[in-house]
Amino acid sequence: METLLASIGHYMFLVFGLMAVAGAVALVASKNAVHSVVGFLFAMLSVSGCYLCLNAEFLAVAQLLVYSGGIVVLFLFVVMLVEMTKFKEKGLFQTQTPISLALVVLGVVGFLTVFLGTWFGKNAAVPLTLEPGLDQGLNIATQNAQAVSRGLFGGYLLPFEILSVILLVALVGAVTLAKKERM
Amino acid sequence: MIMEPALLSTPLHSSVLWLIPFLPLFGAILNGATGRWLKNTKVVDFFALGSMAVSFLLVVYTFIQLMGRAPVDRSVTQTVWTWLTLGDAHVLGGLTTNTMTWAYKVDPLSACMGLLVTGVGFLIHLFSTGYMADERKNGQYYRFMAYLNLFVFSMLNLVLGANMIMMFLGWEGVGLCSYLLIGFYFEREYAAIAGKKAFVTNRIGDFGFLIGFFLIFMVYGSVDFDTLMGMTRTILARPEITLFGLSHAPTWWFNLIGCCLFLGACGKSAQIPLYVWLPDAMAGPTPVSALIHAATMVTSGLYMIARMNFIYVNAPVALSLVLFIGALTALVAASMGLAQYDIKKVLAYSTVSQLGFMFMGMGAGAFSAGMFHVFTHAFFKAALFLGSGSVIMACHHEQDMRNMGGLRKYMPWTFASMGIATLAIAGIFPFSGFFSKDEILWKVFEGWYAGGTYHGSTLSLVTWCMGMIAAFMTAFYMVRLMVMTFFGEYRGAGHDPHGLTVPSEVHHAADDHSHDAHGHDAHGHDAHGHDAHGHDAHGPQEVPWNMWVPVFILALLALVGGFLNIPHSLHWLGSSHFSEWIAPILYQVHPAEGPEAASSIEYILMFVATVIWAPAAMGLAWVFYGADPTWARPRAFVKRFPELFEWVNAKYYIDEFYEAAFIGPCKQLGAQLWAFDVWAVDGMVNGAARTTLNVSHAAHWFDAKIVDGLVNLVAWILQQVSGGFRKLQSGRVQNYAFVMFLGFLVFAFWKFLAC
Amino acid sequence: MADMNQVLFVSFLLFSVGVAGVLIRRNALVILMCVELMLNAANLNLIAFARHSGTVGGQAFALLVMGLAAAEVAIGLALVVALYRKKDTIQVDQINLLKG
Repeated sequence: METLLASIGHYMFLVFGLMAVAGAVALVASKNAVHSVVGFLFAMLSVSGCYLCLNAEFLAVAQLLVYSGGIVVLFLFVVMLVEMTKFKEKGLFQTQTPISLALVVLGVVGFLTVFLGTWFGKNAAVPLTLEPGLDQGLNIATQNAQAVSRGLFGGYLLPFEILSVILLVALVGAVTLAKKERM
Repeated sequence: MIMEPALLSTPLHSSVLWLIPFLPLFGAILNGATGRWLKNTKVVDFFALGSMAVSFLLVVYTFIQLMGRAPVDRSVTQTVWTWLTLGDAHVLGGLTTNTMTWAYKVDPLSACMGLLVTGVGFLIHLFSTGYMADERKNGQYYRFMAYLNLFVFSMLNLVLGANMIMMFLGWEGVGLCSYLLIGFYFEREYAAIAGKKAFVTNRIGDFGFLIGFFLIFMVYGSVDFDTLMGMTRTILARPEITLFGLSHAPTWWFNLIGCCLFLGACGKSAQIPLYVWLPDAMAGPTPVSALIHAATMVTSGLYMIARMNFIYVNAPVALSLVLFIGALTALVAASMGLAQYDIKKVLAYSTVSQLGFMFMGMGAGAFSAGMFHVFTHAFFKAALFLGSGSVIMACHHEQDMRNMGGLRKYMPWTFASMGIATLAIAGIFPFSGFFSKDEILWKVFEGWYAGGTYHGSTLSLVTWCMGMIAAFMTAFYMVRLMVMTFFGEYRGAGHDPHGLTVPSEVHHAADDHSHDAHGHDAHGHDAHGHDAHGHDAHGPQEVPWNMWVPVFILALLALVGGFLNIPHSLHWLGSSHFSEWIAPILYQVHPAEGPEAASSIEYILMFVATVIWAPAAMGLAWVFYGADPTWARPRAFVKRFPELFEWVNAKYYIDEFYEAAFIGPCKQLGAQLWAFDVWAVDGMVNGAARTTLNVSHAAHWFDAKIVDGLVNLVAWILQQVSGGFRKLQSGRVQNYAFVMFLGFLVFAFWKFLAC
Repeated sequence: MADMNQVLFVSFLLFSVGVAGVLIRRNALVILMCVELMLNAANLNLIAFARHSGTVGGQAFALLVMGLAAAEVAIGLALVVALYRKKDTIQVDQINLLKG
């Protein structure tokens, strides 16, 4: 059973990854905006799953909370606010779509070539390990929350605090921007 | 006796010669410059007459100086200044550096001419102080006196000049003064046209003179008379002279020179074909006619031939031409004088005719005879002209002889003077005209009789006959003039029983009264302003002393002047002083031969001429006009031959012929040239304007299209480029993102994936 | 256990889909969501490398990025709302006032 779980666990990341990509494709290719949001949600969830597979539990939960719980809802709100069914869309896709897709594919192919070169070529390097190490006596894999908290409130306290200020500013800014104009 | 050409070996240098011509010039300048503002015209008189008088005295003084010297030394010269210094002139003898000077030379011939010019000139100045009295009031008097003085200056330059340049200067100057004086009443178109005619005709002659002058210079290399005379023998000794690529014997060239110079003489001395100006020149005041067209200017051609005798004696063809033209002119002009009614016109034709006689004399080789006739003619013709001026004055500016008559009662002195002059011109012994005219006719006859020295004998015979006929006509018309004017009853006061008068035209009048429309019928009963002439309205009266005295003096000279040159055959009367006097200046070809032996023929001819021929003519004229106051015979003659009379009266229509043949085409040519000039000049001007316009249009096009185009092109390029770049900025963020991604890919591919 | 290569591959794929979406879609909201996708891919990368190096910095960083992404979404959506009020559309094609 453990080997089964282990083997399943071995491939779980890929599953989640592909689900995330599928969700992303759905996001990009949907006609309906809400469908796009749903696809987005699906992608977020899948990414959270990816995090889990990488033993980053704290972040997985944060991802769920922030992204799928907050941001997706925001998007849904705005989608509802915008009422896109009122107007005709000129088209789903931009006029430059073919070129853009071509470019992206080109980029993917190029990067893949390099990747494959490093993965399977004669100079294939030994892949990086994901074996956890010890950091300050805490194993981020097994004691993830503690490690993250220690890092967050330890070395990275300043960015953390600034982030809160940023959030405040963003809050104020969002309110200001979205305010109705006075008459 | 063989006489070498007179090399005047030791001329006397005088320092006062220049005063002789220049005193009248100063008078002219003074009068001309200040005369307008002089209130008292007597001052004008003083300058004019005074300069003439002093000039005359100086000539007399010089003449006396000459008389006191040996014949070969009779020359007084003065070089006043150097006029032209030529560089190397290519003439026959090679190169010559010639200096032309303003120099005077008084030798026997020019001394006589000088005496004539200044003496007769003085008398005529005196005459005109009375004749031109009207002009004193108009303020034009000073102008007349100034012109007269200027004329005398030019004439003295001509006769006293020591070289051909001086002669030419005087030649042109007298032509100019003639023009000025003929057209003195320039407000009358008639007079202005006459002046112009005189000047233009003279100019045609001057062309010939100039050609001859140039040829002389080319052949001789000098223009000084003494030098020319001295070089002639050596020039003649050459076998051939080559000029302008033409190569001929010297005689051929001399003939050419002689003919060219004679053309000039024809213009100046009114020979055929250039005589047409002289009758019209009577439009000028009478003193002008007397001075210029009787005594002085018209004789300048003869003076020139006498001066150039060294050319002519070696140019038989030229001499023949001179002889023939002279005879022809004498005959034709005399015939024209038969049918004229204007008193001055008769005298004008008489002058032309007598000039023809003088040329006959020259042409026969008798230079002294011709020159002597110049002097005697000057005396009697001037007397006749001035006398006619007095007559005209007395008849209130009436010039038509049919309206005169019986004036000898009123003007005895004038009648006497003119009578003497008439006898002189007719050639009655012992008046001066006899000696000179018959000498000429004898010399011409001798040319036939003695197998002529210079030309074929037939020519001499023919011309002698022409001359005799002309002499007959001369006597006839002169007596006709005298009878019509002085005999019978005065027809001018309306008293015309025989109906001989014609309506008075009086457009030749010398004053500006509104005279013309009135006939002389108005004489008796109202007061015109005739009192200014000094006589009342009753009838003609003798003129004042300053007018009849010169006439009388001239008549006296005409009476006794002949004794200066008694021909050899009449040597018991005296000797030929004049011929001997001017002999030194004549070029002798070869020793004088034998004509002395034929003096019996000479006697016969002279006797015939003076006792038979001329009195016959005079008697005929008396019969026609004097004996019968009704003039029945001439009238019958005219009735029988009306066309003949009309033809002669109209001067053979020569003026009309000239007008049609020469002057008309010239005017047409001038008009065409003028039209061409207008077309060309205007065309050029317009063309220039058009060209400028076109150029400016082109420049404008260039500026607008090209220059502006360049500027606009730059702006257009900028616009296109910026427009192109503008399209990049679509305002859409997505496009920007795309471009960013593109750039990133490029960068990535270039940098990272190229390994 | 996942391979580093796989993780990187997945994150790369996610990122490129996100890029494609940004470039392709007209809808401003979809574009924003694709931007979030890209951020997530970056997060994934961070975490993978954090795991490899054994330090916690990567994960802390990823947390901060997440917070930042949230702030950015808030502002972005407020902008879209304001834009929608102004222009009555959220098609980015029509937001071209700066069009030259």
